[in-house]
Amino acid sequence: MIGKEIVLYSLRNIWKRRARSFLTILSIFIGITTIFVLVSFGLGLYFYVNELTTSSSADKVLIQPKGLSPAGLDTTFKLTDDDLRAVKRAAGVYDATGIYLKPAEVKQGGKLKYVFLISYDPKKPLIMELSNIGIVKGKELKKGDEGKVVLGYSYMFPGRIFPRPFYLNDLIEVQGKKLKVIGFFGEVGNPQDDSQIYIINDFIDELYPGNNTYNWIIAKVDIGNIETVIENIEKSLRKSRNLEKGEEDFFVQSFNDLIETYSQILNVIIGFVILIAFISVVVSAINTSNTMITSVLERVREIGVIKSIGAKNSDVFKLFLFESGFLGFVGGLIGVDFGLFLTWIAKIILKNLGYGFLAPHYSPSLFLGCILFATLTGAVSGVVPAIRASKIKPANALRYE
Amino acid sequence: MDEIIKIENVSKIYKTGTTKVEAVRKLNLSVKKGEFIAIMGPSGSGKSTSMNLIGSLDLPTEGKIFLDGKDISHLNESALSQIRGKKIGFIFQQFNLIPNLTAKENVALPMLFQGISSKKREKRASELLKMLGLKERMNSYPNQLSGGEQQRVAIARALANDPEVILADEPTGNLDSKNGKIVLDFLKSLNKKGKTIILVTHDQNLAKYAEKIFWLRDGKIEKVTSNKK
Repeated sequence: MIGKEIVLYSLRNIWKRRARSFLTILSIFIGITTIFVLVSFGLGLYFYVNELTTSSSADKVLIQPKGLSPAGLDTTFKLTDDDLRAVKRAAGVYDATGIYLKPAEVKQGGKLKYVFLISYDPKKPLIMELSNIGIVKGKELKKGDEGKVVLGYSYMFPGRIFPRPFYLNDLIEVQGKKLKVIGFFGEVGNPQDDSQIYIINDFIDELYPGNNTYNWIIAKVDIGNIETVIENIEKSLRKSRNLEKGEEDFFVQSFNDLIETYSQILNVIIGFVILIAFISVVVSAINTSNTMITSVLERVREIGVIKSIGAKNSDVFKLFLFESGFLGFVGGLIGVDFGLFLTWIAKIILKNLGYGFLAPHYSPSLFLGCILFATLTGAVSGVVPAIRASKIKPANALRYE
Repeated sequence: MDEIIKIENVSKIYKTGTTKVEAVRKLNLSVKKGEFIAIMGPSGSGKSTSMNLIGSLDLPTEGKIFLDGKDISHLNESALSQIRGKKIGFIFQQFNLIPNLTAKENVALPMLFQGISSKKREKRASELLKMLGLKERMNSYPNQLSGGEQQRVAIARALANDPEVILADEPTGNLDSKNGKIVLDFLKSLNKKGKTIILVTHDQNLAKYAEKIFWLRDGKIEKVTSNKK
């Protein structure tokens, strides 16, 4: 029976041994804080990745080099207009366009920065359909916009890329040529994407003299048969690039599969990190168990008294279980609060550093889950000491000094 | 008068390693409802063991113990606790109050284990403490009370579930003579109201309060004397 007197008895015991109780609670709350922080950021990332795959991205297929080097820096791999035509020829492909990705030297005054430049066909802005990012200021690139550029989000702010911000109609020096800024994209939330600059394909040869080849081809395909269409594209490309099956130096993947791959890797990493956090909770459980065993040993005589006035074994068991569960509950409560505080600060710091996509996601089940988990951990740690307490024989306990 | 406690051929053997210690041997004893008896004996006579057995705090190795006509020698611990909480009130030499509970909460605790509602518990605890002259000390913790006051709280606690038997183990052992007398007089008055009192002591001066004295030596009853006038 857990009644008022038992609750008061337990709480006052915790208070009386407050130094030890505090240390026990501390060890629980550190574990819970860690879990809270990691899970909230993990959920944030999960939702971010999920947002990347939208209905407008579901019918897109990407053709990229297989090499290990990042796109745009692999000089051996080339996708030509012949390849683009081969992709377009494949059954189930509605449209396809080539994308250039180049490293670019960008200057403001005497300051030089290296960023990525993306070049696309403004009549087929398939790359824009992949992301949810639109123009937030100025206008999009159109055919005939040679010598013009649209900048990523970060260029609008002082100190992020250059000391001074850029404004519409400013001139920006790219690869030694002065280009006119006609628009800015919205925030993606990571420093690389937000520092990219965009031009049209008709202008690429002027900015990068020589034989330019595509780094990606994006195709819009029949969404109902996307697997078959991918095979068709592969077959068609093998033919145009003169490769046997199994020798492909490219790979063709639907955009959503690509994101899926990323999110799977992400899940494994998050899972692993959370596992480490769980280990810290296991350690705190051992600590709680130790505290409770000590507490039982200190109260042998009291247990004898309680039994002599009518407490059953189960009453004594519940009493100690309540006590350890309460320690866990308090640890969970503080852990969640502290976790909330930490993630709140981290979010502000990350946002200012340009990593806006790394934002925690809070859900009621995260709060409740953490508190419940801490309470359960506390209670479970108390099981063995509580059984021990309940088995104490009153006649022996009353003689115990 | 009916027998409230009957002990039949009870032995209690403690084993420590290979040595066996027979604390009580073939003990026979019966207490009638409403009696005031004393169990006397020097230390090592088996007094404490007898008290534990009578109070159902311990089970015999051999023999039978009847409490209010019911054989309790084979009950499990939970059933024993339940009966103990309801039928027997304990008073100990060291008072044995729970240090983290106030006087009132200490008195209410035995009622909690009998499933009595919080409201009734508080009401009865207050009444009992008033009866023992502790109206002003209800919300004090044991360490804020004098020895005499603590023992009176313990008596109130022993009476919480209105038990038929009060088992007092050296109840005045830690008290001065004045407070000792208050406690014994109170036990006597309880006896007059019909409660069965069992006093366990080594002090012959206390024995005069009892109607009947069981003299224990080496785990056996040596003699039974009567104080009846």
